Amino acid sequence: MISAYDVARQTFSILLPEILLLITATAMITAGAFVKLPRRSWCATAAVALGVAIFVLLGMGSQATDIYSAVALNDAFSWYGRLLFLLSGLVIVALAHDQVDDSRAAEFFGALLFINAGAMLVAASNELVFLFVGLELVSMPTYLLLYLSKRSKATQEAATKYFFLSIFSSGLLLFGFAYLYGLTGVTNLKALAFLADKVQGVPQPQLALIAIVFVMAGLGFRVAAVPFHFYAPDVYQGSPTVIAAMLSWVPKAVGFLALLRTVTAVVSAAGTSGPLGHRAVLLAWLIAAITMTLGNTVALAQENLKRLFAYSSIAHAGYLMIGIAVAFRNDLNSGGLYYGAEGIFFYLTAYAMMTLGAFGVIVMLSSPDHPVEKVEDLAGLSRTHPGSALAMAVCLFSLAGIPPLAGFWGKFELFAAAFSASPGEDSGLFWWLGVIAVLNSAAGAYYYLRIVVTMYLRNPTADSITARPAWPSALAVTLCSVGTILVGLYPTPVLVQTRLAAEASIDLPQPVTIANPNVIATLPASR
Amino acid sequence: MATLLVLTVLLPLAGSLFLFLSPRLDMKKARAVALSVALVTLGFSLILMFVFKTGMAAPQFAFMDGEKYGLSWMERPDIRFSLGLDGLSIWLFGLTSLLMITAIFASWESITERAPLHYAFMLALETGLLGLFCSLDVVLFYVFFEFTLIPLFFLIGIWGGPERRRASVTFFLYTLAGSLLTLLGVIALVVIHYQHSVGNVLTFSIPELREGLQALNWEPWSESWTRTHPWTASPQVLVFLLLFAGFAIKVPMFPFHTWLPLAHVEAPTAGSILLAGVLLKVGSYGLMRFNLSMVPHGAAVLWPMLATLAVIGILYGAFAALAQTDIKRLIAYSSVSHMGFIVLGLFAFNSTGINGAAIQMVNHGITTGALFACVGVLYERYHTREIADMGGLWNRLPLLTFFFILASMGSAALPGLNGFVGEFPILAGMFERSPRAAALASIGMIVGAWYLLWMLQRVFFGPLHEPHGHNHEASHGALSTPPDIRPIGWHEIAGLTPLMIMIVFIGVFPQPFFDRIRPAVSLIVVPFAASAEARIDAEKGMTIHASLEKNFGPASKDLVVEPISQVASTPKGRR
Repeated sequence: MISAYDVARQTFSILLPEILLLITATAMITAGAFVKLPRRSWCATAAVALGVAIFVLLGMGSQATDIYSAVALNDAFSWYGRLLFLLSGLVIVALAHDQVDDSRAAEFFGALLFINAGAMLVAASNELVFLFVGLELVSMPTYLLLYLSKRSKATQEAATKYFFLSIFSSGLLLFGFAYLYGLTGVTNLKALAFLADKVQGVPQPQLALIAIVFVMAGLGFRVAAVPFHFYAPDVYQGSPTVIAAMLSWVPKAVGFLALLRTVTAVVSAAGTSGPLGHRAVLLAWLIAAITMTLGNTVALAQENLKRLFAYSSIAHAGYLMIGIAVAFRNDLNSGGLYYGAEGIFFYLTAYAMMTLGAFGVIVMLSSPDHPVEKVEDLAGLSRTHPGSALAMAVCLFSLAGIPPLAGFWGKFELFAAAFSASPGEDSGLFWWLGVIAVLNSAAGAYYYLRIVVTMYLRNPTADSITARPAWPSALAVTLCSVGTILVGLYPTPVLVQTRLAAEASIDLPQPVTIANPNVIATLPASR
Repeated sequence: MATLLVLTVLLPLAGSLFLFLSPRLDMKKARAVALSVALVTLGFSLILMFVFKTGMAAPQFAFMDGEKYGLSWMERPDIRFSLGLDGLSIWLFGLTSLLMITAIFASWESITERAPLHYAFMLALETGLLGLFCSLDVVLFYVFFEFTLIPLFFLIGIWGGPERRRASVTFFLYTLAGSLLTLLGVIALVVIHYQHSVGNVLTFSIPELREGLQALNWEPWSESWTRTHPWTASPQVLVFLLLFAGFAIKVPMFPFHTWLPLAHVEAPTAGSILLAGVLLKVGSYGLMRFNLSMVPHGAAVLWPMLATLAVIGILYGAFAALAQTDIKRLIAYSSVSHMGFIVLGLFAFNSTGINGAAIQMVNHGITTGALFACVGVLYERYHTREIADMGGLWNRLPLLTFFFILASMGSAALPGLNGFVGEFPILAGMFERSPRAAALASIGMIVGAWYLLWMLQRVFFGPLHEPHGHNHEASHGALSTPPDIRPIGWHEIAGLTPLMIMIVFIGVFPQPFFDRIRPAVSLIVVPFAASAEARIDAEKGMTIHASLEKNFGPASKDLVVEPISQVASTPKGRR
C-alpha cells in the first residue's frame, strides 16, 4: 500500500511546473504593488518562469502513481498537454511584451502565468473537483486581463459579457459534474471510467446523458461552440488583440482537453455500442455540424479582423468537435486510422501555431496611433512588410488546411478518424460529417484567401502600416510560422506524441492495489 | 535511379527556394537561374525516360524498403514518401518538365515585375506537378495535388490580366472545394481497404490499394450498408463520387468547367501553358489512377452519366469555341472539348480507349501548350487577342504562323500528327462500348477542325491587318505599339521548337509511347475485362440500361440519366 505521504509527495512532484508558475505569479502580483519596475522586467520574469517550468516538465521522470487514486497524472496526455500550454504561453508572453503599461505590467504578466498554470492543471488532473479548480484558475485571471490592459467602454463591455457567461457556464458544468459523480460515487476520473468499463449497468444511461449534456454545455462555452459561441466576436473585438489571441487558444484547448478527460473517456469505456454512445455521438455530431457551418458562413461577411478570427475560431471548434464525436466511439481496440483524441491533439497543436501566428502578426503591426483592425488595413502588406506578410500567409493557408502545412494534417487526421470511427451503424453519420466538414473548409478558405489577396494582390494604400515589429513579437511569429511549415513537412514527432497522449486518455490498466478484488463484483448495479 | 527521381522532383523546389530568398535579383539573372534549373530537370527526366523499361507494369525507380515502396515518412499509420514512375506517369512527368521550358521562355520578356518571385512560383509548381505524377502513396499524392494550388494562385493573381484577383480566387476555391471531397474519397479508400480486406491491411500505397481494392469482395458489405443506409447509394458509388468531385473539376468535365475560361484568359501566358498543358491532366490522371483502378464498379454503375457528361463536354466545348472572339478563350474552350475526349476514352473501360486517353493526355498537353505559347507571342506584340483585330499576319510573322498551324493541326487530329494518334483509339474504344456516344463525339472532332481552321484563316491569312496600325491612326491608344513588330525571337523559337518536334514525332512514331503505356493500362482494365459481357451486349445493340442492369445489378437503374436526349438538346440550348 502507498502511504498518504507518498501520494502527497507524488502529487507535488507531478505538479511542480504548475506550482512554480503559481509561486512566481503570486510573487509578481504581490511585489507589483510595492516595486516599480519597467514592463520588460516583468515580462522577462514571466518568460523565465515558463522556461524553467518547461525544463522541469521535460526532466520529469515517470511517476509510478496509482492512477485510480491519484489527483494528478503524469501520463502522456498530461505531459503533452502541459508542454503545449507552456510553449504557447511563451509565445503569448512574447507577443504581449509591449502591450501593457509599466504600471500594470506586474498584474498583467502574473495573470498570464495564472492562466497558464490553470490550463496545465486541467491537462494533468484526474479528479473532477481538481479539474474544476483548474478551469476556474483559467477563467478568473481572464476577467482581470480583459479589463487590465486597456480601460475603455469596449473592454468594459467585453469583460462584463465574458464574466457573466463564464459564471453561467461554470454553473452548468458543475451541475454536469454532480451527475457524473452521482453515476458511481467516485470523483477520480480514471476510476469512473474503470467502473463504467467493468460494472454492468454503469453508467446509468439516462443520468449519464444528463451529465454529458451539461458538461458539454459548460465546456461548450470555453471552446466557443454553438449555441454558446455568441460572446466570442464581441469579446474578441472589445479586448486588446493579444488577449483575443490568448482567448482564441487557451480556453479552447482547455475545454477540449477537459472533454477528453471527463466525458469521452467514460462513455467510450462504457462500451462502443448501446444507446448512450449513440446519443453522445449524435450530440457531438450536431454541435460539430452546426458550429462549423455557422462559424464559417458568418465569418464570410466580416470586415473586422478580430471578428473574422473570432468566427474562424468558432469554425475550428466545430472541426475539433468531430474529434469528440469520434472519441465517444474509441476504446483502445477500436481506434481506426487515428483516434479522435489523437486528431484533437494534433489539431490543437497546429491550431496553436497558426492562430497565434496570425494574431501575432496583427499584434506586431498595430501601434496605438495606427491600429490594424480591418482586412483593408493589410492592403499591400507584401510590399511594405514582406516578412510579416509571408508569416501571415503561411498561417492563413494552414488555417485553410492547404498541404503541406500543419493545419492540413490536423484536418486529415480528424477526417480519417471520422471515416474509420466505427464500421457499424454510425458510419454513415460520420461520412456525412466528413462531407459537411470539407464543404465548410472550402467555404472557410474564402475568407482566409481574402486576407491573402489583400496582402499580396493589392497595392499599399496611402496610410499603410508603419509599425516596426519588435524582436520578441517577431521571434514569436517566426516560431509559429516556421513551426507550421516544419510540422507540415515532417509531422512524425508530433504524431508519435499525440498518439501516446490519445492512448493515455483511454488507457485503463489493471488496478494493482485493490485490497479485495471481489469488491468490484459486489458493487451494486446502479439500476 | 531512385535517387535521380527524387532529385528531379526536389531540384525545382531548391531553385524555387533560392529565387524566393533572393528577391532583389534582376530579371535577367532570375530567368537564367530558372531556365538552368528547368533544363537540368528536363535532362534528368530525359534520362529517366530513356532508362525506363518496356513491358513492366510495376512502378520503376522507386526506393524499396523490403516489400514496401519508398521511405518512411510517418510511422504510424505508415504513410510513406514513395516515388516511382509507371507507363502512365512517365510521359506526364516528361511533359511537365518539357512544358516548363516553354513556359519559362514564354515569360522571358513579358515578366518584368517581381521576376524572381514569378520564377520561384513556377519552379514550385513544377515540383508539385512532378511530385504528384510520381507519387506512389495516396497521401503524398494528395499533398502534391493540393500544393499546386498555391503557386498557381499567386501566378494568376499577381501577374494576370485585369480581372486577375477574381480569376485567381475563383480558381482556388473551386478546385479546393472539389479536391477536399477527393481527400475524403482517398481516406475512404484507405479505410475501406483497412476494414474489409483480408487481414485488415492498413496501406496507403497506390499499387497495393489498387490490387487490394480490385480483389476486395464488396458484396456482403455493400448489402449491409444498403440495409442500414437505405437512403444512400452503394459504397462504391459514393466513394467514386467523392473522388470524382475533385478530378472532374480539374479536368474540367462539363458542368464543372466554368472556372476554366476565366482562369485561362486572366492567367499570364506561362500560367496558361502549365494550366492547360499539365494541370488539367491531373484530373484525368486522377480519374485513371483512383476512380477506374480502385472503384471500378462505381464507375460501371455511373457509366451512362459519365459518358453523357463527357460527350456534352466535347460538343459544348467545341461549339462554345466556335463562338469566341478572343483567341485565348477559344483555345480554353477547345481544351474543355479535348479533355472531354480524354475522359470519354477512359470511360470506354477497355484498353484501346484507355491507351488512347493516356497518350492523348500528353498530346493535348503539347498542342495546347504550344497554342497558348503562340497566343502569348501574339499578345506580347499587339496587346490584343481579338480575332477581329488581326488578319494576314503570315506576312508579318511567317515562322509563328507555321508553328501555329502545325499546333492547330495537331490539335485538330490531322492524321500523321499527334492528336490523331490519341483520338483515334479513343473513338475506336468507345465504338466498342457505345457506338452512339462515339458517333456524337466524332461530331466534336469535326467542329474542332472547323473552329481552328476558321480562326487560322481569319488571323493569319488574307490581307494584312494589324491591330497596331489601327491604334496608330486613332493615336489615342494608351498602348503605343512600335510601328515595326519585332520578329519572333530566339527564345520563342527555342520554347516552341521542341513541342513542334514532339507533335510530328508522336504522330509518325507513337509505338515507343504505347509500348510503355500498355502494361500499366492492362492493370486498370482487369475488373472491366471480367465483365466483358457488357461489351458484347453493347455490340449487340442492347440498350445501355439493359446491359448495365444485367451486368451490374438493378442499382444502376436509379442513377441512369437518359444519355442521348441530353446530348442532343444541350448544344442547341447553348447556341
